[in-house]
Amino acid sequence: MGNKQTIFTAQQLDAYQVGYGSHFLLFYRYRDLAPQLVPLDYTNQPDVKLPYELIGSMPELKDNPFRQRIAEVFSEDGEGNMTLDDFLDMFSVLSEMAPRDLKAYYAFKIYDFNNDDFICKSDLEKTLNKLTRNELTEDEVKMVCEKVIDEADLDNDGRLSLEDFQNMINRAPDFLSTFHIRI
Amino acid sequence: MDVGSRPPASLPPRLLSSIKAERDVSAMSSGMKMLLLGVTLLLLRAAGADLSGSAAPHPGPVLSSPSAPPLGPPPGAPGVALSRSAVEEEQEAEEHHGGGYRVVQWEWSYVQTPYIIAIWLLVASVAKILFHFSQRFTTVVPESCMLILLGLVLGGIVLIASKKQLYQLDPSLFFLFLLPTIVGDAGYFMPARLFFDNLGSILTYAVVGTLWNAFCTGFSLYAAKLLGVIDERVQAELMDFLLFGALISAVDPVAVLAVFEEVHVNEMLFIIVFGESLVNDAVTVVLYKVYISFVEVGPGNVQTADYFKGVASFLIVSIGGTLVGLVFAVILGFITRFTKKVRIIEPLFVFLMVYLAYLTAELFSLSAILSMTFCGIGANKYVEANISQKSRTTVKYTMKTLASIAETIIFIFLGISAVDKSKWAWDTGLVSCTLVFIFVFRAVGVVGQTWVLNRFRLVPLDKIDQVVMSYGGLRGAVAFALVVLLDGEQVKAKDYFVATTIVVVFFTVMFQGLTIKPLVKWLKVPRSTNRKPTINEEIHERAFDHILTAVEDIAGLQGYHHWRDKWEQFDKNYLSKLLLRKSVYRKSELWEAYQKINIRDAISVIDQGGNVLTSARLSLPSMASRASFPEVTNVTNYLRENGSGVCLDLQVIDNVPGSKVEEDMETHHVLAGNLYKPRKRYQSHYSRHFMPLGEKERQDREVFQRNMRSRMETFKSTRHKRHKKERSLKKVNMLRDPHRWNDPVVVPVEPEEDKADHSDPEKEEDVGITFVARKAETPKQRPKSVPAALDVCQSPPPHTPSPPAADSHLPWKGSVGAPPPCVSVEATKIIPVDLQQAWNQSISSLESISSPPAPAEPVHPRVSALSRLGGPRPLSYTGPTAGGSPSAGPPLPQASFSFPERKKKQQVEEEEEEEEPGASQEMQPLMSPLRLPGSPPPAPPPAPPPGSGRRRNPCVYLRSLVTTPPGGSSEPHSHRPTQL
Repeated sequence: MGNKQTIFTAQQLDAYQVGYGSHFLLFYRYRDLAPQLVPLDYTNQPDVKLPYELIGSMPELKDNPFRQRIAEVFSEDGEGNMTLDDFLDMFSVLSEMAPRDLKAYYAFKIYDFNNDDFICKSDLEKTLNKLTRNELTEDEVKMVCEKVIDEADLDNDGRLSLEDFQNMINRAPDFLSTFHIRI
Repeated sequence: MDVGSRPPASLPPRLLSSIKAERDVSAMSSGMKMLLLGVTLLLLRAAGADLSGSAAPHPGPVLSSPSAPPLGPPPGAPGVALSRSAVEEEQEAEEHHGGGYRVVQWEWSYVQTPYIIAIWLLVASVAKILFHFSQRFTTVVPESCMLILLGLVLGGIVLIASKKQLYQLDPSLFFLFLLPTIVGDAGYFMPARLFFDNLGSILTYAVVGTLWNAFCTGFSLYAAKLLGVIDERVQAELMDFLLFGALISAVDPVAVLAVFEEVHVNEMLFIIVFGESLVNDAVTVVLYKVYISFVEVGPGNVQTADYFKGVASFLIVSIGGTLVGLVFAVILGFITRFTKKVRIIEPLFVFLMVYLAYLTAELFSLSAILSMTFCGIGANKYVEANISQKSRTTVKYTMKTLASIAETIIFIFLGISAVDKSKWAWDTGLVSCTLVFIFVFRAVGVVGQTWVLNRFRLVPLDKIDQVVMSYGGLRGAVAFALVVLLDGEQVKAKDYFVATTIVVVFFTVMFQGLTIKPLVKWLKVPRSTNRKPTINEEIHERAFDHILTAVEDIAGLQGYHHWRDKWEQFDKNYLSKLLLRKSVYRKSELWEAYQKINIRDAISVIDQGGNVLTSARLSLPSMASRASFPEVTNVTNYLRENGSGVCLDLQVIDNVPGSKVEEDMETHHVLAGNLYKPRKRYQSHYSRHFMPLGEKERQDREVFQRNMRSRMETFKSTRHKRHKKERSLKKVNMLRDPHRWNDPVVVPVEPEEDKADHSDPEKEEDVGITFVARKAETPKQRPKSVPAALDVCQSPPPHTPSPPAADSHLPWKGSVGAPPPCVSVEATKIIPVDLQQAWNQSISSLESISSPPAPAEPVHPRVSALSRLGGPRPLSYTGPTAGGSPSAGPPLPQASFSFPERKKKQQVEEEEEEEEPGASQEMQPLMSPLRLPGSPPPAPPPAPPPGSGRRRNPCVYLRSLVTTPPGGSSEPHSHRPTQL
């Protein structure tokens, strides 16, 4: 860890709740994505953003239906351009230490395509189409969406609020406990 | 009969038939499976007889196939052999009796084998029934314990009767027939996702853990022997002890299944213990065989190379077994792709291929259990998609029945086998040492491995999990069968080992099996929840997978999610194309899940009340014809209502699209609403599955529910008051004009569904309080013309569209500006101010409309109590009230219109938003009367007597209702206050 000082300050390290040692791994990963953009010295907090195209064009992700959405949700500007902070935040949300509520919140945000703080029908339809790669007909999608809302919509307003969502997801205890990755 | 007038009867033949078909299949399948079982057992028994006769010193269980010269009829052609023997016997008989024809003959030798098998099966099954007679007893004592005890008793009887133990758990019978049925069932229905999620841990426990147990137990026993704890009579060397350690150390799938299924620990814990018990088969088989060969050649002659051969052998046995299983899985999937024309034998393919996977692995002395497990896991997805719904049901029931009966037989025979003096050689030192070592090493092994595993697991196993895992290391029939297979010549201490094994098995199954439940309770181990899968979970699961994969990929990690995603891609691109029918392949799994959930719900609905569907015109999409959307839609909407009993739908009316009013439909709806449920219906359909309530009770409930529903309807309509003022005018008009009645009548949009709705909650939670508000109510319709009228004004005239159409525009789907007025079940109990009138009204309507079950109505305490509402309240009422005469039709309605003085009428309107708070206040007066003992209200005079004649002609009945003074007068009044 000889190069610790050169990349992060101590405070910065404390701020990132990703787990000891993971910062560097992630930092190098971040830098690898765009070596020409990212400086090696982060102590003075350079304003660097990784454009979404870089992430979106990764070959591993080309089949992933949620790649754009994830980038959007976790990036500060909402358009998928990620700073190092965003990048590390993403992993801290998905780390084991992150509280369940936080995870649920971000999961909710990922579903909430139109950012209106509710999962409404159109959000669900988008999700479904992404998940099924447009294999379902419109009718089918509609029916499934109705069922989804019907199941989880406790306040009966035809859309899912964060509470609805949390409620729903807490009923299946395994969801959030497995909703993390090890780095 | 009014029944005849309702279309329902003719409606759902499809649904009914499909459901029925399922039932038939299951019934049929049980018959078929018994047959199958009989045949297989027959074969086995014969084979087993040979084996036990020849006391085969085979190196492994694998080799103990029915190759020995058969004592009984040759396994291959039992029928022929048997018939031949019968003929011979007959000839003998003829010789004896001088050729005379005997009318009755004693053909015992002809039927002996199958007869005995059948008797045993019968005994086992009856024993099962008996155990489950006492609910309290079975919750405490696991079935396996009882079966072993029963076996002990039976064994004792047999021993006393014939001085010799005739029956025992025969290893070949066990390995070739009993074990595969259980493993096949377990493998095929193994939750694949869960299994593979925990595969790392399972493999670790199974391989490392079993090796650790085996070696430690073996060496420790040897040490105990050297120390003199174990008696000198036990002539065993290090190799013998290691061999014994190997066979005694493996956790047994049968025992684990039997015990854990009753304990209901959470799925993860279960899959780890059970998965371990399945997968450790490879380790056990290899260790067993290696040691046997070492014992045979003598420890001195073992060369170093042999150890490496042992390791290589392990890899071959395990990986080979897995591969054989997967190959058969692919073949099975591929075959079922083409069974469209011969659906009837689809299940057979499943059984045969899974069983062949087992036998083939045995053939090459690979791990048969692994093979079968992986065949089941691998094939399940494709087979389930390919075969028809009926076949699926058949497979499921057959497998479950076979497994269940096999398990029963295993435990009974374990008990019986124990009662055999010839095999026993008791040594307290050996027995107690073994018990202690097994337990200690299991615990140490689990803790140690978990400590390592938790560094890698996504969900760490905590201490409680470890305790349960240690304690759940049950030994069972596999160990027993293996020890019986030992060659007494080679292993001098065989008898001691047998006795010890029996004790260990009994101890773990009985003592640990008995105590694990309290232990789990005491430790508060998270239990498995019996929640139904929901479409939400399906979606989230998939979405989360994608999200995690994406994040892993972004981080450049090649973790678990990465590989699973890769596998899914591969599966989608190649495997599914190869193994799935084209028609099936198109559909996404999500859709499948959706349909499954739908069908499950539909079935449960039917089970809970057959008549529901009859009236709802639903047809269930059979899985075979997946493409039928309209049907699916019906079910969907249908289920939506039943699925979430929580939703109070208040918007039904508003969202119903206007359409042409069809007279007959109207009439139908009116009738459906107005007539109380035909009683006979229950009995005629599904009487087997419907639990008939007491006649009176049911009627009371119906009455009560109608009340509630009508109340909700009023509630619904009052909500709109604000928005439209003209309404009041219209209302008045409508009220005046009798002909307008038609419109309001239409309002209840889905009268048919209401039956579904209320029958459902009615059965599930026996209090009839959870209604869905949207149930259209009949009695209310009439008197309620007001609310209905209101709705009519404010929204496009809701006509009754054909149910499907109506369904598709379900209530709460529509975007509604106003915040949801009622949210949950509890809401039903709250009676908002606005509702008071409705409440009273509904009561009055009840009173005024005496329907067929009228006699019962009055009896209901609640109803009658409610009817007295008028009494207590008048004080606070502005309007004239019917004081003490709740019984009279006309007066009552009056009472209902009045409002408590403290509430100003305008306030009432404003309070719509805050119904709930307001309600809490109002609840008191409303609810308290409920507790009053009911006084039977006199028969409502105004309403047309519930003559059968009326029912026959619904129109007449209807009209009479409409024109009755009470109804008409009540309506206008009821809303007046609120309008002001």
